[in-house]
Order: sequence, then C-alpha cells, then structure tokens
Amino acid sequence: MDLSYTEEQVLLRDSVQKFVSDKYDISERNKLTATDEGFSREHWNQFAELGWLAMPFAEEDGGIGGTPVDTMVMMEEFGKGLVVEPFLATIVMAGTAISEGGNEKQRADLLPGIMDGSTIASFAYAEQQAHHDLNNIVTTAKKDGDFFLVNGTKSVVLNARSADKLIVTARTSGSEQDTDGISVFVVDADAEGISRSDYPTVDGLRASEVTFKDVKLSSDNVLGELDKGFPLVQKIANRAILALSAEAVGAMEVLYQDTIAYTKQREQFDHPLSEFQVLKHRMTEMFMEYSLAKSLCMKATMLESQDSAETQRTIHALKYLIGKSTRFVAQNAVQLHGGMGMTEELRVAHYFKRLTVIDSQFGNTDHHLTEFVA
Amino acid sequence: MDIEFSQEDLDFEKEVQDFIENNLPKGMDLWTKRGEWFEALRKKGGWDVSKWPVEFGGPGFTPTQRYIFDNEMAKNSTPPQLPFGVGMLAPILMNYGSKEQQDRFLPGIRDSSVNWCQGYSEPGAGSDLANLKTKAELTEDGKHYIVNGQKIWTTLAHIAHWMFCLVRTSSTGVKQEGITFLLIPMDDPGIEVKPIITLGGSHTVNEVYITDVKVPVENRIGEEGKGWTYAKGLLIHERTGLAGIQNSVLALEKAKENASSIKVGDGTLLDVPVFKNKIGALEAELLALEFTELRSLAQVSAGGDPGPESSIMKLKGTEIQQRISELNLESSGIYAAAWGNPVGPAFAKGATSGYLGARATTIYGGASEVQKDVISKNVLGLG
Repeated sequence: MDLSYTEEQVLLRDSVQKFVSDKYDISERNKLTATDEGFSREHWNQFAELGWLAMPFAEEDGGIGGTPVDTMVMMEEFGKGLVVEPFLATIVMAGTAISEGGNEKQRADLLPGIMDGSTIASFAYAEQQAHHDLNNIVTTAKKDGDFFLVNGTKSVVLNARSADKLIVTARTSGSEQDTDGISVFVVDADAEGISRSDYPTVDGLRASEVTFKDVKLSSDNVLGELDKGFPLVQKIANRAILALSAEAVGAMEVLYQDTIAYTKQREQFDHPLSEFQVLKHRMTEMFMEYSLAKSLCMKATMLESQDSAETQRTIHALKYLIGKSTRFVAQNAVQLHGGMGMTEELRVAHYFKRLTVIDSQFGNTDHHLTEFVA
Repeated sequence: MDIEFSQEDLDFEKEVQDFIENNLPKGMDLWTKRGEWFEALRKKGGWDVSKWPVEFGGPGFTPTQRYIFDNEMAKNSTPPQLPFGVGMLAPILMNYGSKEQQDRFLPGIRDSSVNWCQGYSEPGAGSDLANLKTKAELTEDGKHYIVNGQKIWTTLAHIAHWMFCLVRTSSTGVKQEGITFLLIPMDDPGIEVKPIITLGGSHTVNEVYITDVKVPVENRIGEEGKGWTYAKGLLIHERTGLAGIQNSVLALEKAKENASSIKVGDGTLLDVPVFKNKIGALEAELLALEFTELRSLAQVSAGGDPGPESSIMKLKGTEIQQRISELNLESSGIYAAAWGNPVGPAFAKGATSGYLGARATTIYGGASEVQKDVISKNVLGLG
C-alpha cells in the first residue's frame, strides 16, 4: 500500500497549483464568469498545451494514459481556485462517454479534437421528471428507417452554449424508469432540431436547457450498445462524482483555512476571534469533516482506478459524505466570517455557492444515502 | 497510489488468519482456554506482546504488520488483554525504566501474573491532569517517598497488584514539572480502594485513597520531576488505540443483524427508512475514518509522522461507538426499559447498559472537548 503521489503526479499537481495561483484570484475569476462563455479559451488552450486535456485518455487513443487518481490530483487543485474552464463537462463527462463507449472510429474522430482543445463537449442527461435518477429518461430516439429521431428536453446541460458536441441519453425502448432501453448518442451541438435556452448557474458557470425536436441521427451516432447504454451512463456519472468530490475537497481546504486566517485577524471584545473556544472547536470540526471527506475521496478514486467490486457502493457513500461535509464546512465558513461572509467581495461566498451546486449534481446527499443503504 | 498491500504484507495477513483459525478456542472455550491462546501467541514469536520491540521479546512488527495484526484480531473478537501492563506501562519501562526495573516488572506484565492499574486522574485533575495533588515527599535518608492523596476513575484498581502513578514531588514552578512517576504496590495497608458504580451498572472504576504509603525510590521511573514527560508520550499512545475502528465495523454489522430481527409492519426495523439512513450515515463515516487511519499508516510506513489526520481518530472513533450503541438501544424498543432481567430479544439485555456505558468513551483518554483544544492548537495553529 502506497498512498503517496508518483513523481509525475507531484509535477502535475505543482503545475496546476502554479496555474491557479497565477491566474485565479477571485477578481480574475469574476472577469471570466462575466464573459459570454463564462470561461477563457486562452486558458483552455493552455490546458491543452500542458497536456492536461489528454491526461485521462488511453495511449493508443493518443492520450497520456492517466488514471482517475490523476484526474483527482487536477480536480482538487481546480477546486482550490474555483477554476471555471469546462474540464468536467468536456474531459470527464464527454471524454468518459467517448473513451469508454466509443468504437475505434468514434474515438479516432472525436478524441483528438477534445485533447487539442478545439472541441468543447458536454453531457446532456438530466431531465425534469427524473429528480436525481439516472435511469429516469423520457427523451426518445425512435427508429425511423435507417435513422433515429430524437425528441425531448435535457436540463442543466453544463457549457452547452460552448459545446461542439453533445453526448445525449435517450430512450430507444422500454418505459420511463427502465434501465434497459437507454442508449447514448453523440451529436453535433448545432444539428438541425436542437435549440437551447442558456443561463448562468449560481456559481458563475454556464448551463442550458437543450431541446431536441426530430433531431436525425444514424447508428454511427450511437456510443456503445443500443438499448444497453445504462452502464455507460453510470460510468460517466461515477467519474463525474469522483471529479466533483475532489474539487469539493480542494474547495473545503480553502474554506477552512480561510476561516482560520480570518478569525486570527478579526478582533471583537478586544480579542482575535480565533481565541474563542467555541470558534476553535467549530474550526476543528470543519477540519475533521474535510479530512474524512478527503479520505473517502481518495479511497473511492483508487477503487475506481482498480475497477474494484466495491466501487459503486463506495461512490454512493462518497457523494453522501461530500454533500454532508461541504454543507457543514461552507455554512460554518460563512458563519464565522460574520457579515463579511455574506458579501461577494470575499471569496468565501463564491466557494459556498460552488459547493452548493456540487451537491446538486449527479445526485445530492440524500439521494446517495438512499442508494447506499438500498 | 496503490490501495493494495504488498505481497509480503498479504502473506503476513494470511499467516495471521491461519494462526487464528488454528489456535483460537471456539465458542465457550474462548473463556476457559484463554491461557492456551496467549501461550500459542507467545510461542509464535512474541505475538502475545505484538507492539513490543524485538529486544524485549516482541515480534518487532512493521507499522503495516501491526495494523494487519490488530485488524485480524479485532475481526475475530480474540480475547482482549488488559491494556495497562502490556500496552501502557511496558513502553514506559522500556523507554525510561532502568535495567533492574525492566527485569523486575516486564515478565509479570507479559505473563499476566501481575495486574496493573493507572493512577492518574484525581478529583481535581481530570482533563487538566497536570493539576494533580497527590503528594510524594522524600524521607530524610532519601530512600523512600511518603505518598498521600487520592486517585479516582482508577480502572480495575480492585483487582490490581500494582499501580503506576503520577505524584507531585514539587509545587514550585510550572505544574507539569513537579510530577514524578512512581510504581506503588496495591497491597500496602495505606491503600484503600472504594468501588464506583457507573451508570451502566458495572463496577470497573474506583476511588483509590493513599495514606502514608512508603514507596522505595527504586520504584521511581526515570528522574524526579520528569513524570509528566514520560506519561505524555503514553497518553498519545492510549488515545490512538481508543478509536476502535475494527470493533466498530463488527459492532455495526451486529447492530444491523439486531435490527433485522425486529419485525416492523411487513418488514423489519432495518427496512424503516429513518433507521436505515442512520445506519448508512454511520457506515459511510466509518469507511472514511478507516481510510483516514490507512492514510496515517501509509505516512508512518514511509518514515514520516502520522500526520494531522491521525489527531481526529479518537474524537471521531468514540463518537461512532456511541452512535452504534444508540442503534442497539433503539432496536430493543420497549425492552430498553428492562434492567437485568433477560426479557425481550437476546441482544436487548446488553443494549441499554451498552448505551449507558458508551457515554464514557468521549470522556476518558482525553475528553472530546480537550481533543478539540489539542487539535485546534497543534494542527490548526489556533492559539
């Protein structure tokens, strides 16, 4: 057993750390979230040059052959800076769909553009009636001669307005809640029949409601096996949960440390706040929540890297714990910053909002506790 | 990063498992044949004193081997050893005792022929242990200490032959610096032990009154006035062992089994969402704590210190123990009220006393609030 990073992982972490400290103070981030796309193409190209976008892909596909642990290393650092570039949507979500579900031709067609930064992609899976259930899908892809006609609406599709490709889940057979009968398609984001309604998310990112009206696809658009797409959907969700959890761990680290720093300099009743025992204990509890969440994040990520049978349950436990610990850490970070914690001026508020959004993605804390004990 | 143990460690794990399979007495024999079990452990190469170094007859396990060994023992509920001699006093004797003291006391500790108790806490010195007042004055000839005072919460003092004890030899200067570490025989006429019955109904802890007890200076460990330093290292040792993670893993399984035997509607208590969710929450936190321990272990194995994460083990581990005891209390339903009589489901008899007794876990070995003070100071750098 060895829980230390490899030399390559240390270098990777250091280079992401350097990027975050150079480019990501909160006012720079505010400038990015105020742009149309909500992120910087220049940063994205830099990610490509540094090889970050190729990290999780297999060497035979032209990638670097990294594991989910490498993604964790990057996401934790992204979380410390609240990085807004579409790494989760393009690399983790769409990237997993293509690399795990795509055939040789699809991988050769799609992955080079993703790795060189020229293709932005996202995963359109959520639907209004589904709450957090991945298998609840009413968007249909009906066979029409040699083609499929896709109809339905997908919700909160991250970075859809910037996307060149969308990965879409649709029902090719069965009824609303069946796991059988789900298929995964890759589609040009500007295909005829696709319309979008774009909006910012609470944490400054971008999302869209994406409607499909008689969008015509062929069997070349199917990723993986027709009707048997659910395991791929689950795989994408698992990778996304691991990435989001690592990001949350990074964000929590900043929050508990910022809170310590703030209470040391803020004086009330003629003493720094950090001298009050009730606050010391609260910060200790924040540190504990952070440490436990980090432990389980490491464990689940390593299990996923080794394709262990325990992975699925551990990921449910993880997303439950991340939801619980982020809520505790973020709420108390704001509380201990007092009125200043309520302002947009301090970064605490931005971390608070990001962590709130993370809980809502790919199943919240209650959803995963329910799955964990099922 | 690699979550698997090395082949060497896996082989060791197998060796421990095989040893337990072949030597652990089954069923009721577990109680009558304890001696044979410990003898087998000893013959295996010092496995009876698994944490002792080779030069004192221990197996000299690596940190990972020790972790594996402890886990396998906990998983199989092997007979526990009283911790006071083997686990707590022995390391102090090895580190700070003279050769004569080691030769005199270690054999009796090892073969369990001599029971020890720990004389630390006093009525005025609980979490603030350094505030202890039990006084030891050197006689004029410099050959003895005359000890007077009172100890409290002394676990198993009523069956102990000896007590290792912190006493005050100086009241000037910093209070930590006037403390000395003495070994006191319990059969001295100046020792009086009075039982304290705790809310779980059991007699485990005691008050110990010490009146004009004459202790030869040969029974002092190390230097006069250095007792606090010696004991502090041991307290850390005690705390990390108090998390009881593998015991909690087993206890949680048992709690599930208990709940599944209680009929509720068409199913069992285990199907009731509010109950099931409590179990799930505990299990998730326990998974996280288990891996936190491994993170510490990995750092120690790599030659580092246990890292800041290790500080939360006692705090979180004892909280989990208490929450598991609550599940059993709830599973016993109406029988939670019954005291002593075997009524209701079999597990219910111990459930309430288990719940009551578990309250102590967040008090002993450094109360949770003291742990938080320590972590906020040492780990978070808060005053």
